[in-house]
Amino acid sequence: MIEQAQSQAHAPVKGFRFSKSERYLPIAFVLPSVIIIALVVGLPMLYSLYLSFTDYTLTSGSSYHFVGLDNYYHLLFVDPLFWTVFGRTILFITLAVNLEFLLGLGIAQLMARAIRGQSLARTLMMMPMMFAPILVGLQFKWFFSAQAGLVNNLIYTITGTPHLIPWLIARNLGFITILVAEIWMGTPFMVIILEAGILSLPQEPFEAADIDGASGWQKFQLLTLPMLMPFVYTALAIRSLDIARAYDVVNMMTGGGPANRTELIWTYVNRLAFTGHQFAMGSAMSFITVIFSFIFTYMFFQNVLKSRWAGDMGEE
Amino acid sequence: MSKKKSISRRDFLKLTGIAALGTAAACTPVATSTPVVKPTEVPTKAPVVVGKPFDGKVVRMHAITGGNYDELYKLIPKWEEKTGAKVEFVFKGNGFETDKRLVQDFAAGTVDYDVCWDHSSFFSQYVKAGGLEPLDNLFSPDDLKDFIPRLVDAAKSDGKLWVIPRHFDISCTHYRTDIGLSKPPETWDEFKTSAMDITKKNPGVFGTQFAGKEEALSGRFYEVQTAEGGQLFDDKWEPTFNGPAGVKAATMFADLYAAGAMPPDMTNFLWEDVAAQFVKGVIGVYTEWYGWYSYFQDPKSSKVAGKFDIARQPKGDGGIHSGWAGHHGFSITKAAKQKEAAADLIKFLTSVEGNEQEAKLGILISRQSVWDKIIKEAATSTDPLAKKRLELALLQAKEDFKTPPLIAEWLPMSNILYPILQKIILGDVAAKAGLDDAATQVRAMMSKAGYY
Repeated sequence: MIEQAQSQAHAPVKGFRFSKSERYLPIAFVLPSVIIIALVVGLPMLYSLYLSFTDYTLTSGSSYHFVGLDNYYHLLFVDPLFWTVFGRTILFITLAVNLEFLLGLGIAQLMARAIRGQSLARTLMMMPMMFAPILVGLQFKWFFSAQAGLVNNLIYTITGTPHLIPWLIARNLGFITILVAEIWMGTPFMVIILEAGILSLPQEPFEAADIDGASGWQKFQLLTLPMLMPFVYTALAIRSLDIARAYDVVNMMTGGGPANRTELIWTYVNRLAFTGHQFAMGSAMSFITVIFSFIFTYMFFQNVLKSRWAGDMGEE
Repeated sequence: MSKKKSISRRDFLKLTGIAALGTAAACTPVATSTPVVKPTEVPTKAPVVVGKPFDGKVVRMHAITGGNYDELYKLIPKWEEKTGAKVEFVFKGNGFETDKRLVQDFAAGTVDYDVCWDHSSFFSQYVKAGGLEPLDNLFSPDDLKDFIPRLVDAAKSDGKLWVIPRHFDISCTHYRTDIGLSKPPETWDEFKTSAMDITKKNPGVFGTQFAGKEEALSGRFYEVQTAEGGQLFDDKWEPTFNGPAGVKAATMFADLYAAGAMPPDMTNFLWEDVAAQFVKGVIGVYTEWYGWYSYFQDPKSSKVAGKFDIARQPKGDGGIHSGWAGHHGFSITKAAKQKEAAADLIKFLTSVEGNEQEAKLGILISRQSVWDKIIKEAATSTDPLAKKRLELALLQAKEDFKTPPLIAEWLPMSNILYPILQKIILGDVAAKAGLDDAATQVRAMMSKAGYY
């Protein structure tokens, strides 16, 4: 009886047509938001795009000129630092995302299997996400300080001899420290998404695998991971874009320095556009980065769709 | 099915008319419908005072805050009382936040304030952006005669006055007297030798340190290479800091770092970090601003209280003392709506009274007459350095006060220079090669800015 009522309620009404005013109603509802977004986000972006084709600086007032693709040419073919910084940013994203994924997957597996204390573990896991990135940066700057830092003090306690390791300064170490901070901050997100994915997987294939005598590794490799891929791609895409925008943590810990050793794309944009007043150049760099990010995101979501399609086929 | 009640156009108009009349009646001033009350019968808490010069005017202010900066603003109610105007703070931030906000406001044309904080190192960029009002017509030579002349000179560009100096800062040599330094280094060569000796003889103590990034590092490089006889630019604005004096200065930084005579993470230090290192007792000799003095002499916060002395900064091969300096002050924006009142407020804040208020906090103020007074008072102080530091600071203000070039490109130039100086310090590049690279980049930046 109830099912019948529900099916009737959802059944399409034959010959039903929206009146003209009703057809425009959804558009009318959405229009204010679209206008506000266009004004607040779209126009400044377009203006910034326009400025990237000029020689505008923060102190040039209204006297600036159209220079075509000069800024883009300078960045892509003249400025050696741009490609170094761009490459380092890619390396940073790659290492951070992959390490976060591996750690996140491991922790998510453990948490999904935990019999007791799941809620407490989840709450504790989410703690790093509760800190503002600027505080995380400050905290890790202190951890890795050469003279007063927690890490060097710990080493001193263990070895009994003082080691003034300049974590934030030394070549490669500076990069590793900002990587550690980023991973600490981002892993909980991976855990939450992947654990949600693991808990939502159907149990029948695992039961069948058990009957067939599959090992734990085989079940993980051949069942868990393939079925988890839509979640994995989504988490990877979100975190990649998040890390690509990494600024606060790096700025607090090293400011991109010393000697550009930890400079990432957004600390460089900030230094160029605001401290250096080269606003047009900074805009051009931002748009180059945005274009790369766009391509990257598109490719990622193509993979999400593919993996989803593969998952559906597998189920059939 | 009940019949829907409909309303005719006539009824609708009637209702609208009644509503409009009602609204109009409600909005009618009460005075027309209530008996007039004689002014004498109305008790008023704040009687309206007539005849004050800026009655009813509002001066909007963009100010620096933090540290001792706010103490001066406590005098503002006195000025409001005197003039009948009101001061409204539209923004308060630290120096770098304030500068960033000003640059952005001038660039975007969103200035809605009359008075703004200013600094000798920064004002040229605001002038270039067309954001400031020249002050020559608002301040007479008589208004300025009590100010230390070098401070006023550092507030001018293109022959116009843009800033009224409030107070200044310059660095002097701070050296520990408890670790074998009987006298301060006279030259930068002696400074380097002393720093290395201190490191060798005092385990756990670094010979020296410098703030190692941003403008802090560029500024220190500027003052050492100036003492060594160098200049940042020649008279045609060609970069010259990659000459022998610049190379010698940069090499000194690199040698000190390589010898372990500076903390290993000094390239991540800013002002508060170097001050914290000194109070921890791990630094032998270094150049520091006067502003930290009370912090250093407080035994509760400082391990070196009573264990250090101060001196004029070393000389270099150029035979002149280092003296990178700057002053804080106030400017009036071009967009100001209350220029006269704004000028009057600035005169009040930089008056003898304002200077005295700031001098009580140990700030280096801008008026000679106030200096004379506080030096006289310091002679009776129990603090052994009280009189010496004031006399030394005044001497430096008169003889060693050197600002970076008063051009809008100073900070962009510093932005190019400091990462390369860091590379030199950390040994990534040789001093000459690094400075040549910096000079090429600075020249390109200056060329784009239209200097050649």
